[in-house]
Amino acid sequence: MDHAKKTRPLTISRLLPIARSETAGHGARRAGAPVLAALALMLAGSPAWASELRFTIWTGNEAHLKMLNGFAEGFKAVRPGVTVKFETIPPADYTQKLTFQIAGGNPPDIGWLMEDAAPTFANARVLEDLAPVLNAKKDYDFADFSRPALGLWTNGARVHGVPFSTSPFVMFYNKDMFDKAGLEDPLALAAKGQWNMTTFQDVAKKLTVANGRFGFEFKDGQGYESRIMHGLMPPIRAYGGDAWANKECGLDKPNAIAAVQQLHDMVFKDKSIVPPGERGDFFSGNAGMTINQISRASIMANAAFKWGIAPLPTGPSGESPVIGQAGIVVFAAGKQKQLAAEFVAFVTNKQNVAVAAQFFPPARASVLASNDFVNSNKLIPPEQMRVVADAIVKGKVLPSHDKSPQILAAMKPRVDALWRAEANVERSLRAVCAAIQPLL
Amino acid sequence: MDALTPRRLRLINQICWTLALCVAAIPFLFPFIWMVSSGLKSANEIFGSPSIVPRAWQWQNFVEVFSYQPFARQYFNSLYIALTVTAATLLVSSLAGYALARLRFAGSALIGLFLVSALMVPEEVTILPNFFMMRRVGFIDSHWPLILLPVFGPQGIMATFLMRQYFMAVPRELEEAGKMDGLSRFGVWWRIAVPLSRPALAAVAIITFLNSWNLFLEPLIFVSSLEKFTLPLALSNFTDPYGAPLWHLQLAATTLAVVPILIVYVIAQRQIVESFALSGVKG
Amino acid sequence: MGQPATMAARAQRNDAPWLTLKMREAMEAWLFLSPTLAGFLIFFVAPLVAVLGYSLTEWNLLSQQATFVGLANYDDALMRNADFWHVARNSAVFALGLVPLNMALALLLALALSGRFRGVVVFRTIFFAPVVTSAAAWAIVWKFQLQGEAGFINQVLAGIGITGPNWLREPNWAMAAVIVTRVIKMVGLNMILYIAALQAIPRDYDAAARLEGASGLQIFRMITWPLLGPTTLVIMVITTIGSFKVFDHIYLMTGGGPENGTLVLAFYIYQQGFEFFNVGYASALAMIMFVIVMALTVVQLALRRKDT
Repeated sequence: MDHAKKTRPLTISRLLPIARSETAGHGARRAGAPVLAALALMLAGSPAWASELRFTIWTGNEAHLKMLNGFAEGFKAVRPGVTVKFETIPPADYTQKLTFQIAGGNPPDIGWLMEDAAPTFANARVLEDLAPVLNAKKDYDFADFSRPALGLWTNGARVHGVPFSTSPFVMFYNKDMFDKAGLEDPLALAAKGQWNMTTFQDVAKKLTVANGRFGFEFKDGQGYESRIMHGLMPPIRAYGGDAWANKECGLDKPNAIAAVQQLHDMVFKDKSIVPPGERGDFFSGNAGMTINQISRASIMANAAFKWGIAPLPTGPSGESPVIGQAGIVVFAAGKQKQLAAEFVAFVTNKQNVAVAAQFFPPARASVLASNDFVNSNKLIPPEQMRVVADAIVKGKVLPSHDKSPQILAAMKPRVDALWRAEANVERSLRAVCAAIQPLL
Repeated sequence: MDALTPRRLRLINQICWTLALCVAAIPFLFPFIWMVSSGLKSANEIFGSPSIVPRAWQWQNFVEVFSYQPFARQYFNSLYIALTVTAATLLVSSLAGYALARLRFAGSALIGLFLVSALMVPEEVTILPNFFMMRRVGFIDSHWPLILLPVFGPQGIMATFLMRQYFMAVPRELEEAGKMDGLSRFGVWWRIAVPLSRPALAAVAIITFLNSWNLFLEPLIFVSSLEKFTLPLALSNFTDPYGAPLWHLQLAATTLAVVPILIVYVIAQRQIVESFALSGVKG
Repeated sequence: MGQPATMAARAQRNDAPWLTLKMREAMEAWLFLSPTLAGFLIFFVAPLVAVLGYSLTEWNLLSQQATFVGLANYDDALMRNADFWHVARNSAVFALGLVPLNMALALLLALALSGRFRGVVVFRTIFFAPVVTSAAAWAIVWKFQLQGEAGFINQVLAGIGITGPNWLREPNWAMAAVIVTRVIKMVGLNMILYIAALQAIPRDYDAAARLEGASGLQIFRMITWPLLGPTTLVIMVITTIGSFKVFDHIYLMTGGGPENGTLVLAFYIYQQGFEFFNVGYASALAMIMFVIVMALTVVQLALRRKDT
């Protein structure tokens, strides 16, 4: 208040002449016009043609978009005059933003959906049943989709969505770092049947010592944050455990505990895994290995080191490939559901799934069995692509639940507690289970 | 002793103070320096080397930022939204502020009290109903909520009180003179009161602009298309198609978002700081 | 300038003789106030009533199905759900940490920078610069500085032989980190308010006290601090309300983690409403937040009134 009193006499004497104020007024009006024009320009969206389908995706990658737009072009032959507008929503907030659009009364017609969101959306009845359209198409052959890959997307005769990316987790490794450490790489070990959780721990440690860089990094360095499940599930499944099954938490079962104990030891005793709060980044050459989805290979085109992919290490219960999945869905609140469902059928027919396989691993048995698929990825040699095809057929999709957001949020703080050097793994996992059990 | 003349003592005292302030300034200044420096590094070097001077200057980061997402468009969105919000706030708050300061009417005090109460309520309290309201009128994924909510929300009401405070200090005689000249009430406001309160208008403009420019919660909730994003939202959005952050681009973009504001701030530092002082005095 | 002339003519004519001057002034006032009042009703009063209504329902944001459940959401938050009290505690810790630290630092800086010496403007500019920076940018940059080993903070600490904690991974350190980085971001504002208040204190008070042999500390305690009273209260109210509003800073730096250690009320409302789709529960939380903030403000304003 003292300040206001102080400034008053100063400014008033400065601002007295009224003539000056007039020019100021005109200036403001002049400045206002362009602003208003710009405002009108901004707020007037493009008019919605009845024949334009909105399709939300999370990639902004040019090659992906080119392929998708190609599908849209192809669809014109079937349904002339129909255009498809692909809208990129950034992956970090994809499900969140999609929710805002649906809840906000502005739903897209079609969208990609990640596995962890599928049950939530299906349960809230915001997904349209695609079965009538898919079954009506003679040459569509819905039975061609591998059964396990459909688990998330069907409920009895209802079809909530069609899987378009069934992407197994594989081990990426930095061949240069293995060579420097004088170690056999995971693919060679796998060929000899020696690629298991024990050798995994062993090479990770040796890589760390020999290279002065971490031996292993969780998926995209986000294993402690947004990708807890992606970090934990492959080892847990290798040990024969699971996050939950039949409404029962499995993380406090002995095999899950053993798996997590090994990871914990690797982080804090061996110091061979990039620890929480640090950045290693496999893709820029700062970690020896990482478990990631095969779709991720696309960024390896610019890698400054030799690399390869191998199956996940086996555990006490043998092989247990893990799959991350995404599907294409039609939103029930959309205005052109029939047309949208037809486009989904078109995009996921045999020819187009084969085309998409260069980026997004298919769930159609016929495509997986073809030689074309094994040769489809320019970055990955055929023998390594067989690892991928094999994993898709045998793999099990990541656990999912209609309360996924709540479950993950309930897990997060307890898993945070697990990733401390002095944490007791068993007790921490019990706490995780105690927190999520009521939600299962 | 000669060494301890008051003059020298004062000098030593001043040097000590200056040194202490320099040390205290580090956490305020360093983030900016680091940000600019990292924006010029490659992704590897950000993690690899703590040096402030980049080993290889990656000027192309600043080019890539624009091709990675519609960053120019997002920049423009932030700019035009902030300008619109500022213009609307100036108009609305100076009208209301004038009425509260000058005009006598029943219930004036009560209205003031009601409005003050809005100042106390965090946006998070009303965001859900506002979301549903915006849905009803079809404003989801548009810029309308980012314009309407700040203009009429706590921000706008704070501006109203700032204007009111200032109008109260304008001598009545000047307005009386205006009335003698035959000006209507509106004319008195527009031709006399408003021009006389330019410092307050400047303060409102500066604070409103910055608030809109930095708005986060509302864009997060109301906007979902990339080309409708505003800057704060766009910044955390430099990820590859699988959600892994591209730090070098993120930091280059952050630099582009922050540095122009900083430059304007340094140039108009006195005016900007005074504006904030004025607003705080109001409470 | 034909306009004033016609206006003058109109004023003399008095278009509406049945209106008393008083009524006319009231009408004009309402007219001037109408945009603000309309906005206030639409974007504040109506939502506040609505949120009260929502809080009595169970409402899924995604499926848009709502059922009336009475006070169940409040019961859930206050009685059953341990999360709420954890979050309330976090908000309290955040406010209790941030407000005193911010105010003490602001006062200290203001005392150092209220005088005139070479470079004073440079320092004021530096300390105020984070205020004009977006919270998003600030959080992004600080997140890097607070990393376990590679972060700037811990490298400096390592330089003097201290192994710093993994700041954003340990609940208590993370809370400390978000508080301190927030203080650094916002302290400039309060510093400026204090400087303005300090400069308004007449110099002769100071000089008179010095003549009587008072020490610097005594002058501060007996003269400066009491005179800063009103400013201190205003700053306290603004900073306290501000500390409850903090969302972007937490969202971007810790996402409420680790171990929910920085999950504060504003963030919890967002999470429940927009991530878990519990519109009803989130609305009950919003009402609780409203009551808390109002109560705190009333208490502080009562203190202020008593003081002046």
